[in-house]
Amino acid sequence: MDYDRLVNTAADVGYLLIANGAEISRAEESMRRIFRAYGAERSEVFAIPTFLSVAVSTPTGRPVTTIRRIPSRRVDMTRVDLANSLCRRVCRTTPDFSTVNREVRRIAARRPFPFPVQVAAFGLVAFGFTLFYGGSPADALVALLCGAVMKPVCRLLERLHANLFFVDAAASFVAAAIALVFSQFFAHLSYDKIIIGTLMNLVPGIAITDFMRDIIAGDVIAGILRFAESVLVATAIAIGAGIALTAVRMLLGV
Amino acid sequence: MKGLSYLVPCAWAFLACAAFCIVYNIRGWMLVVASLGGSVGWLVYLLLAPLGNDIVQFFLATVVTAVNSEILARVFKKPATEFQIVALLPMVPGGGIFYTMEYCVIGNNAMFLQTGLHTLGIAGALAMGILLVSSLFRLGSAPAAGKNRTK
Repeated sequence: MDYDRLVNTAADVGYLLIANGAEISRAEESMRRIFRAYGAERSEVFAIPTFLSVAVSTPTGRPVTTIRRIPSRRVDMTRVDLANSLCRRVCRTTPDFSTVNREVRRIAARRPFPFPVQVAAFGLVAFGFTLFYGGSPADALVALLCGAVMKPVCRLLERLHANLFFVDAAASFVAAAIALVFSQFFAHLSYDKIIIGTLMNLVPGIAITDFMRDIIAGDVIAGILRFAESVLVATAIAIGAGIALTAVRMLLGV
Repeated sequence: MKGLSYLVPCAWAFLACAAFCIVYNIRGWMLVVASLGGSVGWLVYLLLAPLGNDIVQFFLATVVTAVNSEILARVFKKPATEFQIVALLPMVPGGGIFYTMEYCVIGNNAMFLQTGLHTLGIAGALAMGILLVSSLFRLGSAPAAGKNRTK
């Protein structure tokens, strides 16, 4: 049994899960199952949203361990799904490690939807939610524009390595500013519906959904980190839109 | 006409959730299934309107979507998060956060606190709904972290 490769393989699978938005409890459980499937007697895993660490003891008592930093997390449910089923398959059939590594690389190389499709999706999210919150069709069309502008702004700032909260605040500011300027010229638009619908794009859905699941699964630290993250993101979104509201009120004297 | 007032918001919720699936890279049939979960959740919320307490409505609608997500996860052999994350979106209090911020900017402290607390209440209801269902579905399954030591 090659314990070095076992530890690396398990860490790779865990990294793949966490980096694409799986719950921490799922990632830890997956790694634990892999160790059990390959017959590692004593194993420990620990993960939080930005970090994971695994360790096994060889039969002679030598500890083998590795850690991984997880710098950026994005939500890609297809990769989570594939990594999850890879883990099930690995635990059932225990293939050799190079097969698993090839699979991990193949999953990590899967692309998300192309950029223009994502721009359209952002626009559609804004369009749908504006109508959902009771906006008129005209509101929804403005929201479509705001949403579509938001994605390139996020992309540009991410390229410049801006931090997560600044990206959200800036995107929120841009979207709110567009909505407010439009509603200055067309009095029948309700800017609040447009802004709310558009800002749904930035809602930290994964943090909100996962934090409770992590806490009850026993990963209290991971849950608290996610909770703090969702509060910070919500605040960043509110600050961005708030600056736009205040600025437009001051400049146009509403 | 009454039926339409229930179905139209659910249709918009479906559209918005489907677009969100693209953002989260959920493809194919799962896109349709996950988005339907969002519509069903909102339909439950609307049908519970006679309760007259929207925090309870949000809680029960979250419970229904969470149960739905756990069942779908077992049927399709996918992570439950994939369905949960999309189905929860229509219930996220985006409006509450925005109006709280707006009252804060205007300087209307009474309304700021009232809206803020109500928004927190809704967020708490969503969290409790997930907590309840997820706890029930985990009964008897994987042990909590740290209790895995084999002798």
